[in-house]
Amino acid sequence: MAEPIITFKNVSKTYILYKNDQARFKALFIKPKNPKTNKALNNVSFEIYKGESVGIVGDNGAGKSTLLKMITGVAFPDEGEIIVNGKVAALLELTAGFSMEMTGRENIYLKGYILGLEDEYIKQIEENIIEFAELGDYIDQPVRTYSSGMKMRLGFAINVNIEPDVLVVDEALAVGDATFKKKCKNKIKEIITAGTTVLYVSHSANSVKEICPRSIFLKKGTIIYDGPTEETLKIYEESKKKK
Amino acid sequence: MIYLFSILNEHRGFGKQILLLAKNELIKTYKGAVIGPFWAVVKPAFTVFVYWFAFSCGIKTLKAVDINLGGPEPFTIDFFTFMLVGIIPWFFIQDSITQGAKTLRTNRQFITKVKFPVSTILTYTSISRLYVHIFLVAIMYIYVAIAVGPSWYNLQFFLYCPLMFIFFLALSWSTAPMSAFSKDFESLIVSIMSGIFWLSGIMYDSYGFEQPVLNFIMLLNPINFFVNGYRNCFLYERPFFDYGTELAIFVAEFAVVFVLGIFNYNRLRKKLPDVL
Repeated sequence: MAEPIITFKNVSKTYILYKNDQARFKALFIKPKNPKTNKALNNVSFEIYKGESVGIVGDNGAGKSTLLKMITGVAFPDEGEIIVNGKVAALLELTAGFSMEMTGRENIYLKGYILGLEDEYIKQIEENIIEFAELGDYIDQPVRTYSSGMKMRLGFAINVNIEPDVLVVDEALAVGDATFKKKCKNKIKEIITAGTTVLYVSHSANSVKEICPRSIFLKKGTIIYDGPTEETLKIYEESKKKK
Repeated sequence: MIYLFSILNEHRGFGKQILLLAKNELIKTYKGAVIGPFWAVVKPAFTVFVYWFAFSCGIKTLKAVDINLGGPEPFTIDFFTFMLVGIIPWFFIQDSITQGAKTLRTNRQFITKVKFPVSTILTYTSISRLYVHIFLVAIMYIYVAIAVGPSWYNLQFFLYCPLMFIFFLALSWSTAPMSAFSKDFESLIVSIMSGIFWLSGIMYDSYGFEQPVLNFIMLLNPINFFVNGYRNCFLYERPFFDYGTELAIFVAEFAVVFVLGIFNYNRLRKKLPDVL
């Protein structure tokens, strides 16, 4: 079998909850003794292969966001190892990470460089992005003058047009008006059919069933079940009822 | 060593973006003001005027300064010129220390939301301050060239200025992540700044104490190295290696700040997204 595109090996992540600001200040110099902690991820291991679409389900606070943040390279594990091979595009917080004084076009380049793309390649996809975002002449205006819808459209357009190897999607994604929403949904489907690895986070069972053949159920930072979506959802529903 | 590479690595291939972000940092600072970039001059010019007014006109005793540079005769210069050449690097130093410490907190969108080479944030904000500094030095040099006259020693600016840039950048590798962790640390830095101003030889000659002990203690303050260094370039006509003890102490401090910076940055880098 081919090499996995995402590997999590015994990954754990603990957030330290500082009692107050003094404790936080002290922790800069001395390691805190028996601090209160919140284990966001506990010994999580899985492998995802190229072209797979994997759903991640779980309640709030189950560790979904932490997991995604690690895949996108924003957060880091305390223990264990994460290997991600390839470009990761994240449809999570689309308006974040823009430099407000730079123009839309300059921000395309900024994002591109962060992802390690070359000038030439960005030039190639630049027009696609502008067209998809429907920004027109605004592309050469500073991003701070954009409406929130325009920022989201630009964020979305950049992320889907860089031809990512891994696409991380949060279902709670809001992207402007109904027409554009539809366009986004179609684009995501197009990317999935093109064979891109997709990680799909959701509370709702139906949309996961629609997109992902395989799902992971997270509960309090631990993987309860990892397998076919139908099975996963069954277990997820049962655990909900138990409450 | 591996640690140093992690900072260098974050800068690789990002050079053009750093310059662009530095430019935008400037726009962010001065946009929306009617005279825009002129504020970069107005504010320091007013500060210089106030100090000159207070010391030369108000207190009346400080018209000229005599500096003992080890020669047979002390070096005499009027107070205004003496202060001006020292205070211009101080403006950069002050901003570098206070703004540098805050930088990661104010740019948290690059840390908690997207994957970003975090150490470059410190670099581009620092470069935007360097632009302002070079602009001020250019204005100062017009005055110095007329009042004192140009000299080959002026070229030492191209040694002191980059050295000052790197020194305070390396300092921010420590202070910025620590301030991001604890607002108290940030407040601590801001509140000792005016004290540091008066403890550094900007308004007075740091070599000129009567007790040799005090003169030695003043050498331990790296800000004095730069302030005296600028005066070496523009006033004293003295090569940077002339005062060996001062140089040696600075080199040692530079090494410590640099190593500590790399250590602290790497120690805290991965925890930053969790605390911001």
